[in-house]
Amino acid sequence: MSVSKTSKKKKKKVNQIPIGIALLILVIIIGYSIKDLGPKHPMSWMFGILFGYTLRSSRFCFTASLRDPVLTGGTSLTKAVIITIAIATIGFAGIQYGAFLRGEEIPGNINPAGIHIAIGAFMFGIGMVIAGGCASGTLMRVGEGFLMQVLALVFFVIGSLWGVKHIEFWESHFFSKGKALFLPDALGWFPALVLQFGLLFALYILADWFGNKSN
Amino acid sequence: MIKDSPYYNKFFKEPWSYVTGAVILAILNVALFAASGSPWGVTSVFIYWGAWILQALGGHPETWAFFQGEAGKTLANGFLAHAGSFRNIGIIVGALLATLLASEFKIKKIKSGRQAIAAILGGLLMGYGARISFGCNIGALFSGIASMSLHGWIYLVFIFFGAWVGSKLLVKFFI
Amino acid sequence: MGKEVKLDCLGEACPVPLIKTQKKIKDLDVGDTLIVEVDHSCAIKNVPEWARKEGYNCEIEEIDDGEWEIYIEKTK
Repeated sequence: MSVSKTSKKKKKKVNQIPIGIALLILVIIIGYSIKDLGPKHPMSWMFGILFGYTLRSSRFCFTASLRDPVLTGGTSLTKAVIITIAIATIGFAGIQYGAFLRGEEIPGNINPAGIHIAIGAFMFGIGMVIAGGCASGTLMRVGEGFLMQVLALVFFVIGSLWGVKHIEFWESHFFSKGKALFLPDALGWFPALVLQFGLLFALYILADWFGNKSN
Repeated sequence: MIKDSPYYNKFFKEPWSYVTGAVILAILNVALFAASGSPWGVTSVFIYWGAWILQALGGHPETWAFFQGEAGKTLANGFLAHAGSFRNIGIIVGALLATLLASEFKIKKIKSGRQAIAAILGGLLMGYGARISFGCNIGALFSGIASMSLHGWIYLVFIFFGAWVGSKLLVKFFI
Repeated sequence: MGKEVKLDCLGEACPVPLIKTQKKIKDLDVGDTLIVEVDHSCAIKNVPEWARKEGYNCEIEEIDDGEWEIYIEKTK
């Protein structure tokens, strides 16, 4: 590399690793001591820590995956999100198929489809781009020390409460008229899986092509 | 000195690849689904945070239609009984942990009024939007599509349009 | 030897550092180096990724805890 560096006075760095190790010990102690609050608590805590650690370490950002193709022409996070959805689908389908075989209700996030999804997703899309992070991204950046995202989180909470206040309106006009459609119920398991992976694969190819083209 | 170790740099300092993140997040989401019976979601926890704060300020969200039934019980049981709250706080602490172990923590102040407005508007839009579309990029997009639910795919199409419009607004007003 | 130009992106959230960098580099001449100051940890991933895709030389230096300078040499 031929980048020349006019070396400037380096500021004094503080070694934060000991603080990190102390925090790690604290995390373990908290995980152990909250078991009395409820049986699910230590597990929830552990998953939260792992999600946060992974999101930060890989700089994973769902917002960027949807925003960057438009704004900067980058699609590497778009492709990563498609990969994560595809891998999760395999595991989810296994869990759901097990429930199906036992004749149980199909588990998973299967909610009524309808115009409310379009409106809500559209609002969310605008919000996450201007606030610089979605829900998981906002939490992660709060942990990194961004006061802007602390403010966004406060108003995220207020917005949630506002939405809940109006929920009767949405429930009676939209949710109740929407249909919760599990693709394998509509198409059969095999065609649904083919469609699911076919769409994800097509999107991956599209993202890859777009990422190379916009160079 | 730990900071000079190549292993330290590889695992704690250098960003992991996006694909590494993708694989780990997918495994975690499947594990959470298998262990708890429902996939990963983030935003429904915020309803309760808001309601508890409102109660502390003297409001009565427990009378709202939404909090009749199951949600009302969660509300009445309080913060410490709510496992989901611990998961969301865990995300913050997990990110902080990764940042500290990389020795990269810094408080970043709000730079300008326009940044504050962006955070406020964005937060409100996300909060409201998540309620009427059953979640965020995690609950509706990631877990929704992976659950093979139609609503997840609809969510993807429209959040993309939203991100498009948001990008135009960002470039126009917030830079 | 080209000139060095600094771009202050401290305190900026994603994607602002990358957009500012993309704009700024257009004003530079070939051989110039752009120094982007950032404290957003995502920017030290997406700015160099973009710069290298464009074919520019790019290096990152951590100047303080959570603060970096990204050196981008406009090579063409």
